[in-house]
Amino acid sequence: MSTPDAAISLRALFLLFLRIGLSFGAGTGMSAVLQAELVRKRRAISRGEFMTLYGLARLVPSGSMTALAVAVGYRYHGFPGTVVVLLAMILPAFVLTVVLTVAYTLLAGSPAMGVLNLTLMPAALAVVVISAYRIGREFVTSSLELILAIAAAAGVLLLGINPSLILVAGGLIGAYALRDRTSEDGR
Amino acid sequence: MTLWDMLVQLAVANVLAFGNGTVMAAVLQNTFVQQAHVLTNEQLLYAFALARVTPGQANLYVASIAYMMFGLPGAALSMVVIAVPSYLMIPLLRTYEFVRGNRAVRGLTRGLASTAVGLIMATTWSLSKDSLHAPVTWLVLGVALALLVFTRLPTFISLLLATGVGVALVLGNLGVR
Repeated sequence: MSTPDAAISLRALFLLFLRIGLSFGAGTGMSAVLQAELVRKRRAISRGEFMTLYGLARLVPSGSMTALAVAVGYRYHGFPGTVVVLLAMILPAFVLTVVLTVAYTLLAGSPAMGVLNLTLMPAALAVVVISAYRIGREFVTSSLELILAIAAAAGVLLLGINPSLILVAGGLIGAYALRDRTSEDGR
Repeated sequence: MTLWDMLVQLAVANVLAFGNGTVMAAVLQNTFVQQAHVLTNEQLLYAFALARVTPGQANLYVASIAYMMFGLPGAALSMVVIAVPSYLMIPLLRTYEFVRGNRAVRGLTRGLASTAVGLIMATTWSLSKDSLHAPVTWLVLGVALALLVFTRLPTFISLLLATGVGVALVLGNLGVR
């Protein structure tokens, strides 16, 4: 890793990640804001190094944005930096989520909840359907991957196998049978 | 289910799904709704929808699930569980040349992704059985799908618009319920 072109104070890092935590578009939108801030605006990191960190973050078994945040926090301020950026990034969505969940629990059993079940739930289901389609289009690109996907669905729906076990099995099969197939980002 | 059990299940789902919110929903639906019966499909879908109307990462809806089960301590601890695996990034930074070039690692991630697609398909089927039980629910689903596929509106706007159409229909008592 190269040395930073510009230093960022812990306070500036906190404020930057607080803003990123308020960004929409999930990981993709948030990483775009982070890239614009660090690479273009502050010139604190080169584009190449940022993309390397982004690529590595996608290999970590957690949200890629939290992994990217840890990498950036660690790069500038070590372990304290990682704690500060994670707190700043998670706090806004956490507070909003808890507040809206409290509202949901208060409405439980009321007529308003009946309306919500008839309206918000099918809309949320549409988001699940679209997410499933997009993830499928991105990752199922060969017959073996298609077989893995169908076998996983059948395993849960028809045989009642625990999804965690299915994921582990899929990963192990992939490590052997898909090791020669690569995608652009390595996932 | 104890608080500890919930945190372990969240940690496992987070790691296996690589933090992907939709894939996590597939694992959590099976664990919390179908097996442990500590959550309903409606609660899970509400939590999932929250991630679409609030800023931040798409997997932070687990705070909502954890709050429904164990209140504020559960919600706060769920965030710790979600964040901790990210620290693998630090040793990874030191060994990234090996990891990036390793074919088995690439195969593993592609195998996990393909399997996850199947799990999401299964979850979608399971959720749809509970969510689509009246004509208005099909209408809202259709409107939401149309907005998500044919417009460039942000997801949360599409979600709110489709929900708004449904609310108008229900409250207007237009005979579609």
